[in-house]
Amino acid sequence: MKVNTNDVILEMLAVIKGTVSDHWDEVKTTTNQFLQRRKVRLELLAEMLEKGEITPARFKSRLEDEKLLLEAELNAMAVISKAIAQKAANAAIDVFEKAILAAISTI
Amino acid sequence: MNNTLSKAIIILVSVFLVTCTNSCRVKFVPDFDSELYSKIETTSKAVDRFYLLMLETTSAKDNERAYSNFSKQYVEIEVELNSLLLQNKIRPLNENSTRICEIILQTWNKYKEEHKEDNSISDGLIKINQTYMQDLFFALQVSEKAKEILINQPK
Repeated sequence: MKVNTNDVILEMLAVIKGTVSDHWDEVKTTTNQFLQRRKVRLELLAEMLEKGEITPARFKSRLEDEKLLLEAELNAMAVISKAIAQKAANAAIDVFEKAILAAISTI
Repeated sequence: MNNTLSKAIIILVSVFLVTCTNSCRVKFVPDFDSELYSKIETTSKAVDRFYLLMLETTSAKDNERAYSNFSKQYVEIEVELNSLLLQNKIRPLNENSTRICEIILQTWNKYKEEHKEDNSISDGLIKINQTYMQDLFFALQVSEKAKEILINQPK
């Protein structure tokens, strides 16, 4: 039985790289959506304060809420990252498993 | 004889390695749950409807927006949010989505308390609260939808 470890490792790395780049657009798009929503929100907040629709106290309170919103968005990004990492790691394990099975079949 | 024995050992070791890799699949997040995703959408819509109806059908004048006129709806939505939190909490490896749910519930209760305290709410604050709640729900939707990445991953 012979396993070419160099080839297997290179293939595992290629699979990891491919999986991450396949989903890179999702990370980028979501980050942009979060930023765009923040921009719209802050513009609305400033406009309402200017029009006297909200009190300075409520304005300050909503700015505090921005921290929680950021925390929520970072948690959502963490799920995307974890899902991509899981998919990439399992694809690499799959390559390793196939290499071992192929080597067994030659015995 | 020796050759046969070494082959047998190699096969046994290989079978062991394959078994190991099979059981060593990594899991960082739970699988996508379409039912839970629908529930997130339904609850998000209920919150949106609540604010839009308040804005369209009542005015800040004549005490129309007194807290008591909306307390029942606040409670109904809080029940849905509690249920959403519980459904997320019981899933293993789901701490990120659970935290988002906790933030949504905390924010909803804060806005409810503010309404109770002021016993009224301006058009501007309704629009702002609606926007903040929708953006929080958006983060929750993203966190659930992200799990779809795992569909078609090697088993």
